[in-house]
Amino acid sequence: MYEFLSHSIDWLGMSPASVITTVFGAFCVTFVVIICWGRLVEDFGAIGGMLAAGFIIGTFWLLNHKLPGFGINPEGIAHPEGGTKQFGLVYQSFRGASPWVDMGTAIGFGLWVAGLCEAARGQRFKLAVESLPRVGAAILGGVIGGVITGLVGWTGANLFGYQ
Amino acid sequence: MRYLSTIIGGAICGALCFGIWPEMWKSYGIMGGWITATIVIGICWYMNHWMGVIWNRPGTIWVDQGWAVAAAGIAWAMVRFNSQFRHALPAIFCCLLGGALAGVVAVPIKKHLAVARSSQCSAAEEHTHV
Repeated sequence: MYEFLSHSIDWLGMSPASVITTVFGAFCVTFVVIICWGRLVEDFGAIGGMLAAGFIIGTFWLLNHKLPGFGINPEGIAHPEGGTKQFGLVYQSFRGASPWVDMGTAIGFGLWVAGLCEAARGQRFKLAVESLPRVGAAILGGVIGGVITGLVGWTGANLFGYQ
Repeated sequence: MRYLSTIIGGAICGALCFGIWPEMWKSYGIMGGWITATIVIGICWYMNHWMGVIWNRPGTIWVDQGWAVAAAGIAWAMVRFNSQFRHALPAIFCCLLGGALAGVVAVPIKKHLAVARSSQCSAAEEHTHV
């Protein structure tokens, strides 16, 4: 059982255990955001939203995305097999070689699905079509911001320790 | 115009998350990550959803800044670490599956909770009238 769960599937880049943890982590954070965030904002206004950001996203970041290592030693504790292991629930497939998959994916899609479920049955298709360009704009914005932030790795000035 | 503001809001949120979060984690560890969530997501939520920079009208499907963060994470890692998009697909699919499950499950539960709360309130009112 344990061997089956931890066996990495080559074409998938993930083991069945990673699939379970990823789906569970995505489920938990999205569920809490849908249930709690709106009510916190209703009860406390903008302060409630800030609280929700800290308590929900902060805590679930810890659950889903924390990286190996202790505090100021981010290169991590070496695993007995050598190398470091990821401890977050959302698995970065191909042993961390994949682009960063964030729990924002789950939250965005979960809220979209929740909106679809709340809508009246006849209007769902219309609402989905209406929301797609806005989703596209948000994704486009994220790509722009991410690409420009990523450029820093290539264009940053060499400060210390370079020959 | 509203599409432009959505794009700008997403770009700022994505850049803040992936410019700051790894550095804070590396400097302050777990507490750094937690504080970053409060600061970055707090201020981005305030701008994008409280002020409404990301376009959401009442009665439509909610577009969350999570889309922007997700896209920024993938784009950031692809540019910075030369990683391949296809490697992210299985994890993305698992995330989408988990999110969709939560959306489907949470809506009836939320409705049930709202009904329970309103009936509780009316019961309390009746009690005070008596």
